[in-house]
Amino acid sequence: MKVPAIPGRDSLAILRGRETRGRGAGRRRLAEQPLGFWLAAIWLAALVFFVLFAPVLGFLADPDGYSRNVLQGVGRSHWFGTDELGRDMFARVIWGGRLSLLIAAIAVAVGILVGGLMGLLAGFFGGWVDTALSAVINILLSLPALILALFIVTVLEQNTRNVIIAVTILAARAVARIVRAQTLRFREREFVTAARCMGARTSRLLFREVLPNLVPIVVAFTFLGLGLVIVGEGGLSFIGKSVPSPAITWGGILAVAKGKLADAPHLTIYPAIVMFCTLMAVNYIGDTLMRRFDVRQSLI
Amino acid sequence: MAFLRRLASRLVQTAAVVLVVTFVTYWMLSLLPSDPCFLSVGTGATEELLAECRERLELDRGLFAQYGAWLGNMLTGDLGESYRNGIQVTESLRDKVPVTAWLILYTTVLSVIVSIPLGMLSAVRRDTWVDRLITGGAFSLLALPSFVLGVVLALIFAAKLGWFDLGGYVSPTAGLLAHWKSLVLPVATLTAGIMPFFLRLLRSDVITTLQEDYVEAARAKGLPRWWILLRHVLRPSSFTVVTVAGLNAAQLINGALVVEIIFDLDGMGTYLISAVFNQDFLVVQTLVALIAAAFVATNMLVDATYPLLDPRVRVRNR
Repeated sequence: MKVPAIPGRDSLAILRGRETRGRGAGRRRLAEQPLGFWLAAIWLAALVFFVLFAPVLGFLADPDGYSRNVLQGVGRSHWFGTDELGRDMFARVIWGGRLSLLIAAIAVAVGILVGGLMGLLAGFFGGWVDTALSAVINILLSLPALILALFIVTVLEQNTRNVIIAVTILAARAVARIVRAQTLRFREREFVTAARCMGARTSRLLFREVLPNLVPIVVAFTFLGLGLVIVGEGGLSFIGKSVPSPAITWGGILAVAKGKLADAPHLTIYPAIVMFCTLMAVNYIGDTLMRRFDVRQSLI
Repeated sequence: MAFLRRLASRLVQTAAVVLVVTFVTYWMLSLLPSDPCFLSVGTGATEELLAECRERLELDRGLFAQYGAWLGNMLTGDLGESYRNGIQVTESLRDKVPVTAWLILYTTVLSVIVSIPLGMLSAVRRDTWVDRLITGGAFSLLALPSFVLGVVLALIFAAKLGWFDLGGYVSPTAGLLAHWKSLVLPVATLTAGIMPFFLRLLRSDVITTLQEDYVEAARAKGLPRWWILLRHVLRPSSFTVVTVAGLNAAQLINGALVVEIIFDLDGMGTYLISAVFNQDFLVVQTLVALIAAAFVATNMLVDATYPLLDPRVRVRNR
């Protein structure tokens, strides 16, 4: 008697809802990306380079280095000019970005872990687990972002750690909502039912069947979340409730520059452009990925 | 009937969320080491004065009792008074709410007015350069947070061109023109922040509607193009616009906070921020509660009235 062929790896993967890809498909996909995607990636790579190596790059070493060239315009020695104390604005933008991006990276990473787990559990188990977790999520969502962050920093005392906590909550509540909705979609799919019928344990269903399917959307959210958090922290520091001085982030640079709009527009323009390009880049990459994975909620 | 039941259950949910939010904020603020009586009495505080003040504010009662009293006062319209200067919160709000309310109202109206023609145009001319220009422009606006765009607009139109001055808010009673002029830049900043959401939604909505059979039928009847767009396409899509407009109006308080600082408008945002900096926590508590209630209630209202506006949803829900 002929034994029916055991489905190969590939068909199993299809069953799990994951796409199978031949070798080289990844590379082809990258090459298919539109020009904007590459511009965005290059901008982010350059920014990350400057931000990471700021302490080693001699000309950027000291954002607080005073010079006699006060309020100088853009020039060869000062790419973005200098401020009223003679500090190099390019160095300040990079060092400000260092902190802005560090906060954003931590907040998004922790936010995805915490919010993702909340959303996963709520969506997968339903029932009272969902009711309880959704209540928490809804309560966190019941305040506009900036008000929530401002409130948290006020209650917890204003320091860098608490600013990170505040913006992490902003990221977490967004992830939780998206992941819950996606989990609801996947838990009813055939491959999950099949695994359940085969006697898979809950942990396997959660982490081996459902979770891998959430990876694309979480990757896409990583970029959108970075934007969300950079804006959130920027807003906080613009109203003077973010990292305590002398530490500075992009929002803080703009808040200071606001006082000198008429005399020194370069203090505003260049930080604004850098921030715009960065947000544009993360939004663009995030949105392209979201659309690729066909998620309705692109750009939450 | 189904609608009423839905509305009732949403109402209960909303009330529950508002209760929990206000309680949690109340509790968290009460954990702070700051003593409102110290603020209220000032530097010349003696023990008797402090004790008398604690008595008056009933600070020695338990958390639940305090919260209950505060909530009762809130519900009866007594928002309490600032520990800092003794001014009634309702008194302060009387001048400040209109500023923020005008900001939000103008922004919502302007966003709808701008996004409808642009959204329809980019949907009708889908995938042409017009569409790319419009959607690309909207996408770029999303990368401009209000504190970036606001400062840049202030720089260009106030500091450089001198078209507007950053002199603060002018009430409509002092002349409509001056009132509008004082709000042009803030409203432009806020509009840039939410209009893209309207536009994107409307665009995808219209694209879907354009493929409906009844649009095809209308075209076959030889109805003029503008008539089809207006009556057959825009009408069903307008519900979407109403929904996002409602949902975003509440979200606008975020931007208002920042914009009021940039343009020196004396509204709810500046009030909240100054209360935070002055550690005037009763005011913070009250404002956060009001904002949360308004925010959640708007979301609920939009959600609940949606079937009333759109007959298709109503039928489906039956």
